[in-house]
Amino acid sequence: MRRLRDMRPGFMLDHMFTRRHLAEYLDGELDARGRDRLRDHAHRCPSCHRLVATLVQMLDGLRGLGQAAADGVADLGLRHRASA
Amino acid sequence: MTPAPSKMTRTSYAVILRFTGESAEAEEVVQEAFLRAWRGIDRFERRSQFFTWLYRIGLNEAKRRAGRRPPAEPLSVEEGALEQTADFTHAPEPRAEQHDLREVLERAVRALPEGYRAPLILRDVEGLSTDHAAEIMGLKQAAFKSRLHRARLAVRDAVDAYLTGEDA
Repeated sequence: MRRLRDMRPGFMLDHMFTRRHLAEYLDGELDARGRDRLRDHAHRCPSCHRLVATLVQMLDGLRGLGQAAADGVADLGLRHRASA
Repeated sequence: MTPAPSKMTRTSYAVILRFTGESAEAEEVVQEAFLRAWRGIDRFERRSQFFTWLYRIGLNEAKRRAGRRPPAEPLSVEEGALEQTADFTHAPEPRAEQHDLREVLERAVRALPEGYRAPLILRDVEGLSTDHAAEIMGLKQAAFKSRLHRARLAVRDAVDAYLTGEDA
């Protein structure tokens, strides 16, 4: 656990900013300054780094589920046409 | 000759399948949704796109059927879930093969409470815009985003537990 004396000034403010604006960041709705602030903090804060990293990995995985399902259903359509 | 499924049918089916988890039931729900839409076409007020309206009918039908089943152990989407994840000190060691991660995600999405599952499916799995997904659910954007964020954190916790081996 990071000790208070090890933290740079503003660390906790950046930490709260990151937690508060995480959803906007993930949806690409944070402005460039906010994005830089959040990324910079995530590089210095292990818990935020982990949180952001796993969320990004999760979102990639969820998009993959949608694509796989779409491919599967499209295959069904092709098979359907072929058998008709 | 039976006509091939249209793009609208395929997309509806993919969403509903994600919701029900069973292909036979998803087919029934989509058929029911199309039937209800056809019967109720006079009530379609053109305040939304036809597809949005159809999605909503399908989701409501899926929820109605889900309500008949005994509830599974749901993931927690309590407020404060984010704070509970704040004490990790190391980045996760990725141990998941892509296929395993997919299964973890599928399970976690299915375990979400109903009102949180639909936002995640529509927005993050199917890739609809926030506007469109919120409209389908009949929610204001802020309410939709709040549910989506909680759903993401709940699923993220399940993924994190898997990555660190805590679910083993």
